[in-house]
Amino acid sequence: MTAATLERADTESKFIVCEGNEAAALAVALARPDMVSVYPITPQSSLVEHVAKLVADGRLDADIVDAEGEHSVLSVLQGAALAGGRTYTATCGPGLAFMFEPYFRSPGMRLPIVMTIVTRDGITPQSVWGGHQDAMTVREVGWVQIYCESVQEVLDTTIMAFKIAEHHDVMLPVNICVDGNYLSYGSARVAVPEQADVDAFMGVKNVNWHAALDPERPMGVDPLTGGSGGKGPSMFVRYRKSQCQGMQNALRVITEVHEEYARRFGRSYAPLVEQYRMEDAEIALMTIGSMTGAAKDAVDEARQAGSKVGIVKVKTFSPFPLEVLVAALDKVQAIGVVDRSVAFRWNCGPLYQETLGALYRLGRHVPSTSFIGGLAGADLTVDHFLRVIRETEALRHGRLSSGPVWLNEND
Amino acid sequence: MGRAYNTIAFDAAKCDGCGDCMRACARAKTDSEDIARSRIQILGGSSGFELALCRQCGDPRCVAVCPAGALGKDEQSGVIGWDASKCVDCLLCTLGCAYAGIALDEATGRVAKCDTCEGAPACVPACPHGALKHHTTARIYNEVGDWEDLFAPGLAGCQGCNTELLMRHTLRRVGPETVLATPPGCVPGMGSVGYNGMAGTKVPVFHPLLTNTAAMLAGVKRQFNRAGRKVTALAIAGDGGASDAGFQSLSGAAERGEQILFMVVDNEGYMNTGMQRSSATPFGAWTSTTPVGRESKGKTQDAKNLPLLMVNHRCAYVATASTAYMEDLYEKLDRAIVAAETGFAYLHVYSPCTTGWRFPTEKNMEVARKAVETNFVMLWEYTPAQGLHFSQSVDHPLPVTEYLKVMGRFRHLTEEQVQHIQAKVEENRAFVQQISQQSYAPREYVRLAGLGGDHDKGNAPRR
Repeated sequence: MTAATLERADTESKFIVCEGNEAAALAVALARPDMVSVYPITPQSSLVEHVAKLVADGRLDADIVDAEGEHSVLSVLQGAALAGGRTYTATCGPGLAFMFEPYFRSPGMRLPIVMTIVTRDGITPQSVWGGHQDAMTVREVGWVQIYCESVQEVLDTTIMAFKIAEHHDVMLPVNICVDGNYLSYGSARVAVPEQADVDAFMGVKNVNWHAALDPERPMGVDPLTGGSGGKGPSMFVRYRKSQCQGMQNALRVITEVHEEYARRFGRSYAPLVEQYRMEDAEIALMTIGSMTGAAKDAVDEARQAGSKVGIVKVKTFSPFPLEVLVAALDKVQAIGVVDRSVAFRWNCGPLYQETLGALYRLGRHVPSTSFIGGLAGADLTVDHFLRVIRETEALRHGRLSSGPVWLNEND
Repeated sequence: MGRAYNTIAFDAAKCDGCGDCMRACARAKTDSEDIARSRIQILGGSSGFELALCRQCGDPRCVAVCPAGALGKDEQSGVIGWDASKCVDCLLCTLGCAYAGIALDEATGRVAKCDTCEGAPACVPACPHGALKHHTTARIYNEVGDWEDLFAPGLAGCQGCNTELLMRHTLRRVGPETVLATPPGCVPGMGSVGYNGMAGTKVPVFHPLLTNTAAMLAGVKRQFNRAGRKVTALAIAGDGGASDAGFQSLSGAAERGEQILFMVVDNEGYMNTGMQRSSATPFGAWTSTTPVGRESKGKTQDAKNLPLLMVNHRCAYVATASTAYMEDLYEKLDRAIVAAETGFAYLHVYSPCTTGWRFPTEKNMEVARKAVETNFVMLWEYTPAQGLHFSQSVDHPLPVTEYLKVMGRFRHLTEEQVQHIQAKVEENRAFVQQISQQSYAPREYVRLAGLGGDHDKGNAPRR
């Protein structure tokens, strides 16, 4: 199943069958990064193996660095980006946790690094399977985070990610979040664009115009700033504020890049928030990532039974698409938000927690519940979503739950 | 500015009059065992020894008095040469010289004098006590003035700190086509990266994280390699960041052979953050996290030997150096720069900390020198092809107390702690010496390569 709407394309593609990790690798090759730094971790490993093979076969002219850990993986890319290179890596779970120190720093340095998170639940309990806990845990660090629904969307969004990251109004690192197991290993028929068409789409690379480590333009990159004296406070605010502005700019740029991609390649995705059968919906399910396919089947089934239910799927999670989300939820009477991870502090799912903030903007009370499922590789089926629909319907009649609904509790 | 020349220096306090230098000279210059024919003469007896040797004077009397124009000073080498074909054997020069530096060789009936063996004097390495030294710092004086100082003036180091000296010399030598990484520590603390938008360096410079210096530089260097540009990737890091939190990225980059010149300024602790213990802090030393109290007195473990760990990575080049031995440091820097063009070059420089080690600011060089003279610090270098070789004698060390007593961080040591440190110094020396003796390269190759490797004889000939 693909979330893409097919349009008439200006270009032609060839079709193959591949898993999500290979689709991501093929997209990376089409985007022509200079530097790819890799370290294996389940369920990301086959992605970097595919990239390494593309380099070995001469299909990708990139310098591939087998670093000694994820911390160095991202650090190598920081250096390469400051020297003018287009950069890529992929990780997940414990690797992302180990990478956190340079991960935190990358958006502040405004480095347009693209990194796939093949999402994995957080240890412990020990687990190697999919879930959004890794990506969700770092949602407040300043990376752009875009979640994919299908293998085709993984390929298309990965190409777009480079253009979004390197846009001079953005200059921020981008995570493409690919559901571990369900997308990483799920195989599908995928259209692969031609290299020349992708080259034309990408345009001219200029990734270190703002901050460079280059003897031809000597400068002190990221000197000590802040504190309470001299220019420190105002300078620190300037950096932080422009970083926040870059995130806000990203909402516009993501939309523009998706529009251009649709024109060139004929596949159109809702860039920020997708609405599915929401025209007359009285209740909304909110979803993120690959679970949306099952959710759509459940909604179709419920609709046949007379339920006025639709789906609001979040594609761009960071920056949070506040305005479009508020508009999408404007008329609904109840909301059920399904998360594949938890927000420990609020005893709910992270998407639910963020949605509560958006609901405040609606200016009226909308009953809602957090549903948590699909942790550590557990499946989210049509039956799970039919239950979500039933319980969300019940909210309209005054049944408020005190905590999250754990969808796989009895599986 | 004038021009500086290399010179042979004599330390009378270390001389016991054994005559080995004279035998070496006689052999080298006359192919005989007759020390009367040596160009170097050690004179004296129970009240001490004096040196009779040509000083290669700047305003040579011998040249002035020669009626035949047979003596002349070479502008390049500074050596006063004697032209046998012009000499009329009048011996006026022997009367003109105040140092007995030119004398009659009775075997030939003509005068003879030191010509420094074309820059590699045979007498110096022959001295078993290190009383003779060939100072080759002239090159630094003559060349350094032509190189641009690439740090901003007025770096904010502690008074008496020699790290600023080290940084300025290093960057002058490496030059402007450099990307400089200075991870958190004293080096950026001095202002090398700058504050609030102002840069402290004329080359591109950045703070890596404490933990990722080598990895970030690897990315920088590789990207310039892709672009076909020759740029030196230089790190000036502290011992804490390199041997503790940053060790993984350092080790990984070394294993991959990243083309980086990685200099560690070892002041044996986290001095910039308030003098806390690092894995490079030596046994017994006071730091702010190994304080002296009733229950414990300073650090209870020995230091990690990071340069030896780098040898075990088989880096393209590994060396230890000291700011008290600048000529040695410069030669190692030269080799490290070359090595970093093809692989990982690691230079470990011991840098005494006036503030954290608690000694008067004017004693920095003395502390640095005493560290080497006691073998507390050993100066050596390593390449995969030539193995490990000492560049400074380790055979006649002073007792380690001569080093320990100069500073306050060891003031509290018990007799047992001192004995532990002395034993550790000797164990370290034996360990490194064993590696040195087992080194792959045959001696002859080492000598021809101009590398100091002859540890049995002290200083090896250099060029």
